[in-house]
Amino acid sequence: MEKFFTSLFKFDRDETTGEMLHFKLFELYMVYHIVWTVWYWGMYTLRISDVVLPLGIAQYIDITFMYGNSLPLINAALISVLVVLTWFRLTPVWTYMLAVVLMHIQYVARFSLGEISHGAHMTAMTLLCFALGLLFFRSSKESRRFIMGAVFFFVGLSYVSAGVSKLIGTGPFWIDGRHLWLWMGEKGIDILSREGAFGNNWLQELAWTSRGMATLILLSGLLIELGGFLFWFERFRPYIATLIIGMHLGIMATMNIRFDASIAQIIVIGYPWALLFNYMLINREAVRIKTEKLLQKVM
Amino acid sequence: MEETPKIPIKRSIRIMLATILVFGILVATHLGEFWPFSVFPMFSQAGNPWTRAMAMDITDYPHDDVWTITIVDELPGEHFSMRAHNVDQIDYSNFVSKTRNWNPGRVMGLRNMLGEHHLQNRRVMIYKVRGELAYNDSVAVHATPMLLLDPDTTYFNPNLPQSFYFRD
Repeated sequence: MEKFFTSLFKFDRDETTGEMLHFKLFELYMVYHIVWTVWYWGMYTLRISDVVLPLGIAQYIDITFMYGNSLPLINAALISVLVVLTWFRLTPVWTYMLAVVLMHIQYVARFSLGEISHGAHMTAMTLLCFALGLLFFRSSKESRRFIMGAVFFFVGLSYVSAGVSKLIGTGPFWIDGRHLWLWMGEKGIDILSREGAFGNNWLQELAWTSRGMATLILLSGLLIELGGFLFWFERFRPYIATLIIGMHLGIMATMNIRFDASIAQIIVIGYPWALLFNYMLINREAVRIKTEKLLQKVM
Repeated sequence: MEETPKIPIKRSIRIMLATILVFGILVATHLGEFWPFSVFPMFSQAGNPWTRAMAMDITDYPHDDVWTITIVDELPGEHFSMRAHNVDQIDYSNFVSKTRNWNPGRVMGLRNMLGEHHLQNRRVMIYKVRGELAYNDSVAVHATPMLLLDPDTTYFNPNLPQSFYFRD
């Protein structure tokens, strides 16, 4: 186990300027998505007055205190300020953890009407990894190594978990193409109700006309999910990232479910951007020194 | 002074194992979901019939057969588009399909979700839409009219039993 985690975290490897730059840009993406998400949830929560399906902490406390007032917006503002200040490292080490708790409250207040949204799970797990890294490591380099390794681990685990859930919930016949027909019909009704009109695209037409093709689509999706553990290994990461992005685009085309945030984060962490940044800084010593000085201020 | 790699790796393993333990306990005791932890169970149970919801504006529909169960292509009136009325379709659909008791509070919750101002001078029919595999090679979809929203009043479908609206 120690060998696996050693290769995941890479504490023994020297850190390059490109890696530090990539880390800070990744954190910036996370902060942007958190701010966008909590305000989006907060604005919608203003219109909610009833709990249909209590989630998370709402199963133990009455979350209706978030309804009929401005608390969702105040919470959004508080989370936004916390994560932005923490990006600049102007706050105590526990502020990202506080943001996790406040964001949980924002989530359960927003999603109390029956929908269990997974749109921001990857961002939230990333926030948790940042919170743990800042809390438990005094050295900023070790903190960064831990955070990146933990993010890779939980991203890979989430896809494997989704694949295993399908095998447990239905079994190997989950890949039967008729199941895709059922889901396409279900999502088609959602689009029709949302937009007032609906038409199949070419991939949906193909799936509707051929049970074999529909089965092939489900089979490829299941195999990619089960292969999510490859995200834990640096050498396979770009390949599995590309397959996962393809799978999300396929789900979008067949079932009209968008995973914009997941795709964006996979792009940000799935490819060796640090190598590209290092390459760009070769023979630009003055730029590299200036970049390192700027990074030191926010690390 | 920087610590040697041995110390952070041991600490990292302890933190990861503790996080995975908390993750496992929370999802095991909360049906697979305790944000941000999840086993991502969506679409894990395949082949089951599904229920969604739609709405039609039947203000200008002159006939009195509005309470008839029908296929989606033959619904009367104009589509009441959720996006056009700034309503989240998934929330709306879950609210309609997962409500077990249509008491006055729940009816008011639905009207609030759609927006009372969108119901002024209108008659909007709420449909529960059910889909299932038929003859093993196609999907059959039927829409059941269940609530008629007038500007002032909400009507239940007189053709449906009371148990359709109050299941507990």
